[in-house]
Amino acid sequence: MNKRGTDKIISVYWFVVLFIVAGGVVYMAAVFYGAPYDVREVEANILINQIADCIATGGKLNNNWNGLDENNIFERCHLTFGVEDEFGWKDDQHFVNVSVYGFDKDKGIWEIDKDKKIFVGNSDLETTCNLGKTMPKCVERSFYVSDGEVIKIKVGIKKVNKNV
Amino acid sequence: MIKRLDKRGENVLTENIIFIVLNLVFLAILVLFLVSKMGDAAILEEKYAKQIAMIIDSAKPVMEIHLDMEDAFDKKEGVDNNSMVLIDKNVVTVKLREKSKGYSYSFFNNVDVSAYTGTAKEDINKYILMIDPK
Repeated sequence: MNKRGTDKIISVYWFVVLFIVAGGVVYMAAVFYGAPYDVREVEANILINQIADCIATGGKLNNNWNGLDENNIFERCHLTFGVEDEFGWKDDQHFVNVSVYGFDKDKGIWEIDKDKKIFVGNSDLETTCNLGKTMPKCVERSFYVSDGEVIKIKVGIKKVNKNV
Repeated sequence: MIKRLDKRGENVLTENIIFIVLNLVFLAILVLFLVSKMGDAAILEEKYAKQIAMIIDSAKPVMEIHLDMEDAFDKKEGVDNNSMVLIDKNVVTVKLREKSKGYSYSFFNNVDVSAYTGTAKEDINKYILMIDPK
């Protein structure tokens, strides 16, 4: 084969490489832009903040904490778990679990009152928390209040079809 | 002293120039494809629906939020300015294309929200979200 023939073959290979690269870029762009933004972690953190604001202000428990329960948390904390009705979703895409613990330097943290727990939302979600991309995204955060108590808030959000 | 290229040299030069130009065209097409994907109306619908839902979730009553949506205003096709963002109960829908049904996302903050386009000079291409207690 003379030099001119070799050049032509190299040129053909070069364009094959270009097409492979183009295919790769198109595939990656389709995968990247085709996947929805996963905002569940941000959403869960905002929900925790809202509930924390509802329970305590300026590091002190609010007066209404004693009366807060499963029946009035939606009204008092201005929450609603209603969602868009696109995938047969009902109000089963969230859960909130609030529990109160005592805090002492020597004793550490202990659960004060097992009855004083507030759980609202879909209880099935808690068992599958963070088990995979297609499972509910859960976030748990604790904060201290000046009365020597620790409030633990765990929140889970499913909404898989819109985030994964 | 400058030597003139012979016929063979001229051919090599032309082939190389064509080769480089074709490669540049190829790269330009790839970049254009990526840029067009980045600013796609469907992607903007999702982005703004989720962004507005998160803003409402973290807002408190009596807040007024001015959201810059310049790229959405640029990309909208056949949709009225005041129909781009719709809020029904606790679901935000952003619609930028006439034929699509838009993208919806729900918020958990139980507040009354009204959304409209800004009319003041500094609010051009902005959407104003008014958060009121229920």
